[in-house]
Amino acid sequence: MSEDRDVMVLDDEPIVGDRLRPALEKEGFTVEVFTDSAMAISRLKEKSFGVLVTDMKMRGPSGMDVLRFVREKAPKTQVIVITGYATIETSHEASAWGAYQFVAKPFKLKELVKLVDKAAKAATA
Amino acid sequence: MKPADPPATVRAPGAGSAGPEGRRDRKDPNLAERLREAEAALVRRPRLSIRLRMVASLVLCFLASGAFSLGAFILLRKAEVKLHLLQTLERLDDRLLRVRALEDEKILSRADVDRALDGVRQADALLRSGSHALQEADRAIVPALLLQLGTCDRLLSVVRGAAEVGGRPGALSARDGAELRRAEAEGNRLLEVIIRRERSSLDGILRFAETGPLVLLGLQLVLFVGIILAFAKALVNPIRRFEGYTARIAAGDFSFITPTRRYRDEFSDLAVGVNQMLGELQAQQHRLVKGAKLAVVGTLTSGIAHELNNPLNNVAITTEALMEDLPTLSDKEKWRLLQDIYFETERASEIVKSLLDFTRQEKGEMVAVDLADVLGSTLRLAQNEMNLNNVSFTCQMPPDLPRVRGAANQLRQVFLNLLLNAIQAMPGGGRVWVSAGPQDEGKVCVEIRDEGTGIPAEVLPRIFDPFFTTKEPGQGTGLGLSVSLSIIRTFGGDMQVVSSLGRGTTVHTCLPRADEG
Repeated sequence: MSEDRDVMVLDDEPIVGDRLRPALEKEGFTVEVFTDSAMAISRLKEKSFGVLVTDMKMRGPSGMDVLRFVREKAPKTQVIVITGYATIETSHEASAWGAYQFVAKPFKLKELVKLVDKAAKAATA
Repeated sequence: MKPADPPATVRAPGAGSAGPEGRRDRKDPNLAERLREAEAALVRRPRLSIRLRMVASLVLCFLASGAFSLGAFILLRKAEVKLHLLQTLERLDDRLLRVRALEDEKILSRADVDRALDGVRQADALLRSGSHALQEADRAIVPALLLQLGTCDRLLSVVRGAAEVGGRPGALSARDGAELRRAEAEGNRLLEVIIRRERSSLDGILRFAETGPLVLLGLQLVLFVGIILAFAKALVNPIRRFEGYTARIAAGDFSFITPTRRYRDEFSDLAVGVNQMLGELQAQQHRLVKGAKLAVVGTLTSGIAHELNNPLNNVAITTEALMEDLPTLSDKEKWRLLQDIYFETERASEIVKSLLDFTRQEKGEMVAVDLADVLGSTLRLAQNEMNLNNVSFTCQMPPDLPRVRGAANQLRQVFLNLLLNAIQAMPGGGRVWVSAGPQDEGKVCVEIRDEGTGIPAEVLPRIFDPFFTTKEPGQGTGLGLSVSLSIIRTFGGDMQVVSSLGRGTTVHTCLPRADEG
């Protein structure tokens, strides 16, 4: 299913998208990068993605808001939450809302790509 | 619709109790040195203790009453001598008169002559030994009187000698009889002059002895009133002064007590003790300011970690991409990635630098501070905290903002506190307005306004109290505003908070201009 290989990357740090896009594309993913969460949400209304990689703390709607939105609109989409400041509370909250995985910054590109691959497979299953 | 509560205002407590000129403490690190100086200034003065003054006053009172008693004793003694003399002279006068009268009648008896002779000799002896008790004018005529008495003595002795032989006093020769009469008459005249004068002198002494005690009572009253007033002044004035000290200490002014009088006494010892206490309070205050600063850093931790992790993550993943794809990347792409790494490293070091700037110990000396600089760097420090809480800010400052007196780092601590309070007052996000501008009375005021929950009117009067907090345990120490106020007060400024429930809070912070001297 082609749609499972669709990945959205949402982080207000442009470099994160810039680095993840080629790394994921090399693995055969189709990648859309957003730095603004409000724009990302409006895109999510139009299109469903297999995997969503989102930062937690952002200007405007937070990663948690995006996670909740995705859970309601596209329950099949797997969400990987990355954050610059991981606390037990936020990780619990993310799990409670059904996040696939919780990743703390700084992360390794290779590991995140592997995680996205696993999540995509979980989305298909 | 519920009408909006009118905005409540709170002035920082104790405002105006001590002006900027009263705040001599410029938090220099040499606290112990300044304490020693203040103590030396207090102790250097000559000592005039209250105890010594009490003893001296009592001795003075004793000496004064002693002098009065001695004077009274001498006066009475003089009166006594005078009275004795007067009696003798009066008796003699009397006897001489009698002798003269009886001589005229030629019925002079031997006993009369004896009494007259006796009176003449007594008076003679008294006048020779006790003439000092007489008035000046009387002393001058004593020799003349003695001369007449000598003549009387000689001739009366002759008369008496005749009487010894013949049983009745004999007559003198006509010449001696005339001389005796002349001497007796002259003696009577001189005696009466002396008696009249001495009697009035004795009357004077007696009158003086009557009115003297009343005068003495008046003088003692004046002396006692003077002593009481002096002691009231010596005791009450310092107590009043110490009342003033406690008031200003309560208002947060911990400057040392300096000498106000020329002498030192028991109150100076108290002042030395109070200064030691003030030194301890100042040290405590420094520790409190430092502790509150660290607490603010603690509040910032999540924001800073987030802010640091972002560039770190960017460096990490960019480096990884570079290592992974090195052979396949074009030179242009490699350059772009390296540039990313470079700028992200810069960004991280900027964050660390601003944090270090904030926590660095500075001397705390009062200098001319550019408020725009301080507010700018503080806003940068709080920027991430604002981002995390969906808070944006508007900053308005005239380009020619006058400099203020203060220490940049401590002002940064104050404004960061106010900004963090504003952010925390808007849990759902919002906007903070920061503006600064010159005001009258040589002040520059900074206004930090939020559109948050506001402060309830019943809580408002307590917000400057140490350890007062409305935040959850662990969320705030309750020291932020109290320490901020003490910092601003140290710089001669003041703070005022206006709040309207549900509409937001505005904090005015005013500082004296640096060019005011």
